[in-house]
Amino acid sequence: MAPRSLWNGTLTFGLVNVPVKVYTATESKTIRFHQVHLDDGARIEHRRVCPKEDKEVPNDEIVKGYELSNGNFVELTKEEIGAAAGENAKLIDVEHFVEGEEIDPAYYDKTYYLGAGDKGDDAYRLLKAALDKSGKVAIGRWVFHDRERLVAVRPVDGLLHMHTMNFHDEVVEPDDLDLPSPQKNPSDREIEMAGKLVKSLQANFEPTDYEDTYREAVLELIERKRKGETIEAPDEPAPSDDSDDLMKALEASL
Amino acid sequence: MPRPLWTGSLSFGLVNVPVRLVSATRDLDLHFRQLHEKDHTPVETRRVCSEEDKEVPYEAIGREYEGVILTDEELSAADPRKTRTIDIEAFVDLEEIDPIYYDHPYYLVPAGETDGTVRAYRLLAEVMGKTDRVALGRFVMRTKEYLVAIRVRDKALTLSTMRFHDEVRSTDGIDGAGGRTKPKEVAQAVKLIEGLSVAWDPTAYEDSYRKRLQSIVRRKRKGGEIKAPEADPQRTAPVPDLMAALEQSMAKLKNGGGGLEDLSKDELYEKATDAEVAGRSTMSKDELVEALRGS
Repeated sequence: MAPRSLWNGTLTFGLVNVPVKVYTATESKTIRFHQVHLDDGARIEHRRVCPKEDKEVPNDEIVKGYELSNGNFVELTKEEIGAAAGENAKLIDVEHFVEGEEIDPAYYDKTYYLGAGDKGDDAYRLLKAALDKSGKVAIGRWVFHDRERLVAVRPVDGLLHMHTMNFHDEVVEPDDLDLPSPQKNPSDREIEMAGKLVKSLQANFEPTDYEDTYREAVLELIERKRKGETIEAPDEPAPSDDSDDLMKALEASL
Repeated sequence: MPRPLWTGSLSFGLVNVPVRLVSATRDLDLHFRQLHEKDHTPVETRRVCSEEDKEVPYEAIGREYEGVILTDEELSAADPRKTRTIDIEAFVDLEEIDPIYYDHPYYLVPAGETDGTVRAYRLLAEVMGKTDRVALGRFVMRTKEYLVAIRVRDKALTLSTMRFHDEVRSTDGIDGAGGRTKPKEVAQAVKLIEGLSVAWDPTAYEDSYRKRLQSIVRRKRKGGEIKAPEADPQRTAPVPDLMAALEQSMAKLKNGGGGLEDLSKDELYEKATDAEVAGRSTMSKDELVEALRGS
């Protein structure tokens, strides 16, 4: 079954328009529970209530309010907020091309797949081939769900992947952290030993080596409860020690 | 420094570095409250039992999955045992990790100022920085166990939570780039890409949506009318001739980044003055573009 796209529009670079469809590339597999009332097992409903009238408020009577420091609200309708999308509501507007390795992963947010849009096969194929050949990734802007995101578009196998990115002022820089400096830098010997330790743990990244053990534990718990077992919560573990003798710890590790 | 989200230790062989986890991003989005339009009152969300039609206190809420009901306390039995360490299991090369796996970025900072802690932290950062390696590990935050990638960024250790492999969707059924391309078009497109290439500088991009939204709020506060700007249909229209579009894009680029039609009338007039276009003072914008093309 073909997946459903969540956004259709145009990616533009220069004067070239590439009709594209956007698909989610990742999905959370965390077990999702329904909230129920423990007394009768009935579902919990989240109702929006006006405290003044003590009555449920239907969707079409809700507006968005931006709170001012004096406690008043500036009220905006959906359409007014939509106006912030600007002229580019249906565009992925590519501004530049860069070397992909230059982008620090701290910028990456979510990944989407880009598929060719209707009548866009030729343009899509061209962009993909040119990105492959140049080794570059495209940097652009995309407005989606009342938010503008910086995006990086890169070719992967037969498709284009699009990563949404944080804007620079949304990313904390190492300088903002005020990291303390040690009184004495690590010695050459310590660096050498630590380097050996890193080497001994060198491996290839195999995503399938890692399973979500928490998800498995939750499913197992649900099964135990279904069989009528009593379930008790575990005790908190003690925190581990801070080892002060670096050299000794490094040697022991090797 | 941002508020720590987790405190524990990073363990690497038998070396333990006490660390705190802080977010590497900050939320700068504008946030709105939901208001009841009629009386301008912020609405409240109430948890109501669908059977009794009565509000339910938080303690009386359980979690149901396929007919099985668990209390929060019972659910905590699934919490993984080790909750205070990040165990480094392996080191891999950075290029091996497809960015699709990255979820949320954080920093690890030394917990405490003791020299042992700070030195162990620095040692790990230095060794990893030298080899351009990424440490893979696992840890538990709140109730979930995460796979994480730890790297160095300017002497700071960053930690990214990662997606599990089965959380990455299949690309089956997505219409991609099958079929042939014309070598001439590709060569021209590569030229255009080279022409638009810059060194990556994140500070070159501001969130223009946030700015527009801020100005909409300001205008609305003063009682102004908000209208959506019109989109330029040319930018979304299909391109009938890719080669022609590529060539025009290159020509536009050589013209100093933008084509003549992108300039304001004043800018066009200035150009016309430089080019000594006759009759320029009475020309319309389009006529100026036309005359400059001919000059």
